[in-house]
Amino acid sequence: MISLYTLILGIALLLIGIYAMLTRKNLMKIVIGFSIADTGTHIIIVSLGYLRGKTAPVIDAAVSVSNAVREVVDPVPSALVLTAIVIGLAVTAVMLSFIVEMYKKNKSLSIDDYQELKW
Amino acid sequence: MVSPIYILILSLSVGFLLSIFDRAGRKFSLTAFYSVLTFNVALMGDWLYRLAVLHVPTFVINTAGFNAPVSINLELGVAEALVLFLANLTGLMAAVYLFDKFREGKVSSLILYLLLVMGVNGLVMTQDIFNMFVFLEILSISTFALTTLKKNLKTLSAGFKYMIAGGVASTFFLLGVVFVYYFAGTLNLGFMTADQFSGIGLIALFLLSVSLFIELKPFPANGWALDVYQSVDSGIVSVIAVVNSAAIGFAFYKIMPLLPSSFLTAFGMAGIVTFFFSNMMGLKQENAKRLLGYSSIGQMGLLLASLVFTIGIEPAVRYLIIGGLFLNHLLSKAGLFWIAGIVKEEKIRNWGVLRNNKPLLVLFGLFIFALSGLPPFAGFWAKWEFVKVLVDSKMFFVLGTVLVGSLFELIFLFRWFTMAVKENADELEPMASPGFSRIFPVSFFGILAAVVSFGAMRCFYGSNWLQVLPVIAVLFITLIDSLPSKVKGFISLAAVAGYGYYLYPLLTGNIQLFFGVIFIAGSAVNLISTLNRKNQSKGFYGFLLMMIFSFGNLLIASTYLEFFLSWEFMTLSSFLLILRGQNAQRASLMYMIFSTAGAYLIMVGFSFAPALSSTAALILSIQDVNLPLISFIVLAIGFMIKSGSVGVHIWLPEAHAEAESDVSPFISAILLKAGVFGLLLLGIAYVSNAPSFDVFYWVGWIGVITAIAGAFMASFQEDAKKLLAYSSMSQVGYIVAALAMITHLGWVSALYLAFNHMMFKSALFIAVAGIYYRTRTRKMYEMGGLISRMPWTYMTVLMSIIAVSGVPPLSGFGAKWLIYTAFITKGWYLQAGVLFFASGVSFLYLYRLIHTIFLGQLKYEHQEIKEAPAWFIIPQYIFLAGIMAISMFPNLIIKPLNAIAMHYFDSSIQIDGLTVMSELGYWNGNLVMYVTMAVFAIPFIMLLLLKGKTQKVKQFNIVYAAERPESPQTTHVAHNMYAHLRKSLGSLSLPRVQEFWNSVAEWSHTLGAFFRRVYTGNGQTYLLHIILYIVVMYAVMGGQ
Amino acid sequence: MSIWLKVLYAAISVSVATVYGLTLGGIVRKIYARVHGRFGPPVWQPFLDIIQTHSRRVAVSHGNMFLLGPVFRLAGGLGTYLFIPVIFGSALFSNFSMAGDLLLVMYFVFFGQLGMALGAGQGGHPYSPLGIARGLAQMSTFEVPFSLAVISVAIQYNSLNITSIVAAQQGSFLNWTLFTNPLAVVAAMISLLGMNMHSPFSIVLAPQEIPIGPPIEMNSSFLGILQTNRGLFAAAKLVLFMNLFFGGATNLLEMVAKTFFIYMFSVFVGAAYPRFRPEQSFRFFLKWPTIAGILSIIFIAYFGGTS
Repeated sequence: MISLYTLILGIALLLIGIYAMLTRKNLMKIVIGFSIADTGTHIIIVSLGYLRGKTAPVIDAAVSVSNAVREVVDPVPSALVLTAIVIGLAVTAVMLSFIVEMYKKNKSLSIDDYQELKW
Repeated sequence: MVSPIYILILSLSVGFLLSIFDRAGRKFSLTAFYSVLTFNVALMGDWLYRLAVLHVPTFVINTAGFNAPVSINLELGVAEALVLFLANLTGLMAAVYLFDKFREGKVSSLILYLLLVMGVNGLVMTQDIFNMFVFLEILSISTFALTTLKKNLKTLSAGFKYMIAGGVASTFFLLGVVFVYYFAGTLNLGFMTADQFSGIGLIALFLLSVSLFIELKPFPANGWALDVYQSVDSGIVSVIAVVNSAAIGFAFYKIMPLLPSSFLTAFGMAGIVTFFFSNMMGLKQENAKRLLGYSSIGQMGLLLASLVFTIGIEPAVRYLIIGGLFLNHLLSKAGLFWIAGIVKEEKIRNWGVLRNNKPLLVLFGLFIFALSGLPPFAGFWAKWEFVKVLVDSKMFFVLGTVLVGSLFELIFLFRWFTMAVKENADELEPMASPGFSRIFPVSFFGILAAVVSFGAMRCFYGSNWLQVLPVIAVLFITLIDSLPSKVKGFISLAAVAGYGYYLYPLLTGNIQLFFGVIFIAGSAVNLISTLNRKNQSKGFYGFLLMMIFSFGNLLIASTYLEFFLSWEFMTLSSFLLILRGQNAQRASLMYMIFSTAGAYLIMVGFSFAPALSSTAALILSIQDVNLPLISFIVLAIGFMIKSGSVGVHIWLPEAHAEAESDVSPFISAILLKAGVFGLLLLGIAYVSNAPSFDVFYWVGWIGVITAIAGAFMASFQEDAKKLLAYSSMSQVGYIVAALAMITHLGWVSALYLAFNHMMFKSALFIAVAGIYYRTRTRKMYEMGGLISRMPWTYMTVLMSIIAVSGVPPLSGFGAKWLIYTAFITKGWYLQAGVLFFASGVSFLYLYRLIHTIFLGQLKYEHQEIKEAPAWFIIPQYIFLAGIMAISMFPNLIIKPLNAIAMHYFDSSIQIDGLTVMSELGYWNGNLVMYVTMAVFAIPFIMLLLLKGKTQKVKQFNIVYAAERPESPQTTHVAHNMYAHLRKSLGSLSLPRVQEFWNSVAEWSHTLGAFFRRVYTGNGQTYLLHIILYIVVMYAVMGGQ
Repeated sequence: MSIWLKVLYAAISVSVATVYGLTLGGIVRKIYARVHGRFGPPVWQPFLDIIQTHSRRVAVSHGNMFLLGPVFRLAGGLGTYLFIPVIFGSALFSNFSMAGDLLLVMYFVFFGQLGMALGAGQGGHPYSPLGIARGLAQMSTFEVPFSLAVISVAIQYNSLNITSIVAAQQGSFLNWTLFTNPLAVVAAMISLLGMNMHSPFSIVLAPQEIPIGPPIEMNSSFLGILQTNRGLFAAAKLVLFMNLFFGGATNLLEMVAKTFFIYMFSVFVGAAYPRFRPEQSFRFFLKWPTIAGILSIIFIAYFGGTS
């Protein structure tokens, strides 16, 4: 019932994203890594709700109210993912604005230049 | 009844409208802003009242007109209402604190702040896990943005690290949410059950819980949080540390029922690990706010652990523990962060500037004490109950870790406090006077901490007013603190007398009465010497009364908790008294550390003890209690720390010597007896229900070794007060050894010694106080020949040292006679041999004391010195009169002591007229006195007959080194007087114990320094920690 | 017995002991002189010394405590002697022993020493406190074997009552502690060497380094009082040892004979051995005699002794 391919794709993206966040020194690349991981998560969510051979959860001419449960995919994950995408966007935006400010102060995009606070 | 949904609606809508209001002027937007925050607090307060007091049922809000699970629903029960009330209150206060920033900054900060508050409220109330994710993100994003309220490189980089960590954690949370939905088929917590998740379904729960857990900053995946705590504005940090953590912690609490026990145990352990390591790493921290960060993280770890480890116990106790720890953390941490923001000095070493602002210093102390779990604050009760729970459920590893971690925390907090009180701040810029908006929240929380603690105390324990008298005393003296010192002194004296009068009928047992005399009458006489104080001595009498009343309360404490409460009051007040000494920073800290370690042991010991069946005073009812062996061992060590037994004695000489000179008599002559009282309590339990292992045999050995070690160290001191301090250590060693015999004669001699020691040591310390008052030095080699200038003081010292040494005919001999007879009858022969040695060595230090101060050559600068003031002389002679009375008529004391000991044993002595007879020998103190007087009279009369031919010569009328000396410094034999003995003792004379504890301290700090290297400051490393943490937690939980 | 009769007896007892003690001192001086290759003063020289010191024209004083020092010293000697029953079964020589037991005697010894130390301290001469510092340290160490011996004796006779201890040793000389508990006697006799401050333990008076030590500033009648005490105090110590370890005495002659030989032990050792340095002396007492004392306690307490 799960769409296995998309699930694997989602997990792969998630891992790639995290790998990028862990290894890239450039702040922008780290944020890109975050976005990739976020997207991976979204794909995982959608794939969990996807049911093979069923149609979109919109009640119209093709799907009647009475047999909706049997014919449509689970609508909840799709609904969730919309919210998640918006939130992910917001986080990414805040991150990017931080990077702009950080670059203004320190003229560097390398994360290694921001470790004054430690121990 | 206003629905709590309005909090969310109002916060959100006003938040969006704020930018419009702001067009009309900052006044409007600020009014709206603070109105919403106040409304939130009021609403939650109202709900809390309804739910907790009026017991209305849990309020459920179904949004969009549908019932759950179709709609998202919110729930508001007692727990939610309490957390939200406090969180909103803290939010409001933090906003008040930030008033200046909000007035001058951008309006966006206000909007973000309201969003944050909304996120917190929603996160706590919502029952839908996806909704939880949304609120968590609202909370996080607004917090990220608020970190840059003060925009600089540090806050930016800290905020960025925070975002990376938070972002990844919430990604995992989201995955967890979806997987949970996949397995449970619902997003609503109310419709999920633990059995929906098995096998691979557990991964869903794992992701959900571990990501929330990461947000709660577990060690070592919490470097980002420390950076935030250190750099971000104090007002915002207080919100992050307290409000955010509370909300996220509560979210974790909500999903806890779904988690299998293996998960919970792992999370509990992780909490304990976090608590332990953060506090250990805190030891090395010098930045104030980062230190608070370590402490915060540790407290959250402890709170999480207490959530887990109290599952299944009685709900009232559980709420007391969790609520107490939470409240304590909330109030004191917020308060401390705010103070940190006012002080502005980053290094804790520079916090001496806080002394410019006395009220703030007091509040600082208050929060520090609260955070350290001292009474009467909430943390004290929570810790007491938590320890009991851990003991009952046999989680000894957790217990040990918690206690060691707490001790670390206490060390860095009190070090900080002593720095603020004592560290030189002359070269620093004085602290600017903070505005009302900054002072108000701090004061409000300080008062709240005190009030709530009192409330908790009354509700849960119903303790009577006598138990809180120590605190009342402090408050009372604070009210009249502007009076001259002498007036306060007389009032205190009257208060002690009144207290004694009130206490007297409550002391039903002879043993209580006896210690009542030592504690109360002894204190009252010692109090006379404080009347000499010339300056205002602010606070002094408050702490002094607090200590004296705690002594008295120990006698009548009828439960373990009351005993421990008074014990902690005593520790705290004596710490504050010692801290008043000029150079007492190190000494008082050491005292506090050792005392607290002892107190923890006592707490554990009492937790193992079975419940009391009687309501009589503990000292009387303890004989019906069958204490387990572990209680005996732990309590014995705890009480021996307080009485300065060898190995744990290093606090004693420092504390005695560095305390103000009129405080030292209390510390030495009376406070040490509290340890003796504790050991006696244990001894009474031992008499009726002895455990299989003879604990007191070893206590006895420790006592005699303390006696000899103390005597040797006393002999090598140059400082008069240190000499007396080591002498006290030695004398208390005698008392402990005598008590440990658990025989009739042993106890008679122990109590006799205790009483005698109280008198002569008070007299000696007051004498030295008088000398210090005149000469301004404690170094004995800087004195000499004072007999001609201070003859009254000399007389006291002479009589007292005869009483110490045990030379007949004074009272000291009675002690020697009793104790050796007791030892030989008990069969402790070698111990008796050691005591004889100690007694011989005591002559060394006694002679040194009297010779180097009073005899030999008078220094030129002391030629015109006067006798000590009458306030010092009067108490000395009261004590001398006491010594003379019991020397002349030993029956005055032997008979009552015999009666006390006969309560527990058959009498081993007979009193025939004035002669005391033991199995081995006899002693007639009265006749000895007469014979001594007679034999003294004969040569004395001979001498008087010679009067005509004696010729008094002046100083230096001697021939030394073939000339008439003229420099007192080179003629007075004083410095390093027993060099030859030191030489012959070789390595035995080295301060091994001191070295041992120094290395313990060094190692703990080094370990702390080692572990904190994980916090490299690199955001990627922190992220790696998080990923690895998740992997490791997975392995731990999967393995179980 | 009326108190006045008791006082009279005590006066007689003290006089006898003083005369005996002083004579003993004379004999010792003679012996030392012969060992040194001199004829030495007459045996009655101590009496002559007392007379001549008392007949000095002035007595130089350094203050009130200085005056009281010799008083304390003599009172200490008197008291110590008066708390010991001297002759077993004799009312005349029982003194005030009903005031207390062995522990009282052991502690009353310090009365005079402490007072003297204080008086000498006010003298202001550096040699006094130097000597006292040595003396106190040495005292604390030789008290260790001595007290171990006392504990051992107390266990052995289950008593600290000197009269009972003597009573238990009556019958045959084999009942003496010397034979029933020899290790305790070894320990005690070695500490007696320290108490008597003859070589090798004469560090207190040490004429070469700190000429005559504590009493250096004592002159005239003060010195006379000290000299009187020296005789009495020596007698008191010897009687105590005789009572504890050598079966006591039932008549004056036995007392004189026994104490003479006890004293001669330290005199002979003193004449034959050079002086220790202070730290050597301290270590010595804490080594062999202490071990002997501990062994004697183990022997008596855990193996029941020979009896």
